[in-house]
Amino acid sequence: MAEDTNSPEVSPPRRRLGRSPRDFLAGACLVALALFALWAGSELDPGSLRSPGPAMVPRAIALALGAVGLLVVAFSLLEDGAKLGRWPLRGPIFVSLAVVAFALTIRSVGLAVAGPLVVIVSGAASAESRPKELVLFALAMTAFCIALFKFALSLPIPVLVLPGLFVL
Amino acid sequence: MGDLVQNLALGFSVAFSLQNLGLALAGCLIGTLIGVLPGVGPIATITMLLPVTFGLEPVGAIIMLAGIYYGAQYGGSTTAILVNIPGEVTAVVTTLDGHEMAKRGRAGAALGIAAIGSFFAGSLATLVVAALAVPLTKLALLFGAAEYFSLMAAGLAFAVVLARGSVLKAIAMILVGVLLSTVGTDLDTGIERMTFGYAPLADGLDFAVLAMGIFGFAEVLRNLEAAGKRDVVRAPLGRVLPTRDDLKRSAAPIARGSLLGAILGILPGNGAVLGPFASYTLEKKLAREPGRFGRGAIEGVAGPEAANNAGAQTSFIPLLSLGIPPNAVMALMVGAMTIHGIVPGPLVMTRNPALFWGVIASMWIGNLMLLVINLPLVGVWVKFLSVPYRLMFPAILLFSCIGIYSVNNSPADVLMAAGLAVVGWVFIKLDLETAPLLLGYVLGRLMEENFRRALALARGNIATFVERPVSLGLLAVAVLVIAIAVLPAVRRGRDEVFTE
Repeated sequence: MAEDTNSPEVSPPRRRLGRSPRDFLAGACLVALALFALWAGSELDPGSLRSPGPAMVPRAIALALGAVGLLVVAFSLLEDGAKLGRWPLRGPIFVSLAVVAFALTIRSVGLAVAGPLVVIVSGAASAESRPKELVLFALAMTAFCIALFKFALSLPIPVLVLPGLFVL
Repeated sequence: MGDLVQNLALGFSVAFSLQNLGLALAGCLIGTLIGVLPGVGPIATITMLLPVTFGLEPVGAIIMLAGIYYGAQYGGSTTAILVNIPGEVTAVVTTLDGHEMAKRGRAGAALGIAAIGSFFAGSLATLVVAALAVPLTKLALLFGAAEYFSLMAAGLAFAVVLARGSVLKAIAMILVGVLLSTVGTDLDTGIERMTFGYAPLADGLDFAVLAMGIFGFAEVLRNLEAAGKRDVVRAPLGRVLPTRDDLKRSAAPIARGSLLGAILGILPGNGAVLGPFASYTLEKKLAREPGRFGRGAIEGVAGPEAANNAGAQTSFIPLLSLGIPPNAVMALMVGAMTIHGIVPGPLVMTRNPALFWGVIASMWIGNLMLLVINLPLVGVWVKFLSVPYRLMFPAILLFSCIGIYSVNNSPADVLMAAGLAVVGWVFIKLDLETAPLLLGYVLGRLMEENFRRALALARGNIATFVERPVSLGLLAVAVLVIAIAVLPAVRRGRDEVFTE
């Protein structure tokens, strides 16, 4: 866990987002999250201590979160800390796309398609991937997973669905 | 004492059935196999393999899951030693001296002593679990809603202290976790909270989905960015069995580590995390030549590994006796037990003694199996680790997707995990640790339930939490622990422990 893709480098004072930009952004995100939760639960009834309503705990927690977030922001303006660091988007984009592709195809078409999709789309997340190898690997892994999960463990996971024609 | 022997005998009679032995073995094997994958810790491993146990009967399923857990732990240590990538926080310490040993051609000895230390620690911890289970369960029956609430508050306070980095951020992440746990249908009124009418959220976020998305997937993303920096050990493995000198150096650290880990593991609030760090620090302090640490000292592997395994096992105590999962792994266990119709808590022991003692006995068997299967298989794991990460991570993602889908047969779960993966990645980038979030989520629902029940019982008098002596004591512990964490002196010490 400590092995750092973004090890804290101490920034020189007087940066744009206070003296500790990473903490500043973190605090701001926490405050935003708290506000979002307050808004999302704004129509719920907090009730009273005698009969607590559905909104009591979420609202109290959101308020506390907002307060802690503000403290994080405040400290980020006072203490020197880490810079924002690099945020390469390639990984998150392709990995989440791959998982979304799996979610959208697993029921409608089945693992035989969803499997290779995950492997190939996520493969694009790494600069080291080699297309040919990846395709072969995708097919092999999918076959292995079908054998393991569908046949050896008999989980109810669709393998191939051709509407009106064929369901496995 | 006589009871203890009798209970353990019952346990072993259950665990020694051919089927359960087979399940423990299978669990340990596949747990290690998945856990060896770089960046895949016990949480991700258990989530992936949860569906595998669905078809089994309850006792067998829990025994297999426990085996998977130990296997994943050991697999994580293997990766830490050979590749310098810890699968989870507790393996960080193992990378320090373990990987150094591996670079010097002593990977075999490091893996061997890790297995031997873990086995000793596991045996001791099994006894601790068996001995403490009965008295703690009796204590649990005296607890009311207010006490439960305060106990969990104390657990969260410990979690703040045990998190690395900023105390404020750790508190914030716990609050985020508690907040997330309130999403879904309110149990008392049946009103949907913060679901935006999205039907799959009506039952709340599934913990397996949250853990896999925000923790497992995000870990893959972190490793992707560091992919170029991976250094699989090329040096020869060396012999697996430690030399007489190795054993002599390691014996005392293993004993001390086991004890430390076993005690810390009992704390609600994931005390098990602290075990390896505490053991490493202690051994370094006691060592005659502390300079050897960080350069391949076998004591630096033996002690922390023992502490790690002991803590992993005693963390079952709060779950089995009080029904409170002390960490994310135990929360996954709750999910698995619920699927099999078992509600973890003080009643399991009286209502289902065969299950309770069977699981405890199988802990020891699992540890024995780890020792037996892993020493000869070290070579296989090494081969496995030489698969490049560019192929490994798509496979990890595929297994994870199948795992998440199979938990509820729900594509919506997979979709949510995709979104959570990005959230988890942002958290990493902002140095916001996800471990406290998971714990906040785990305890959040239980805390709200008990908070509201306690208030109802006291007719809305919030002072009930401080008027009941046990509850007051636990809250005092919580406040004290937080106060200590904020003290500058302790903060510095804590930073030292975690950054070493």
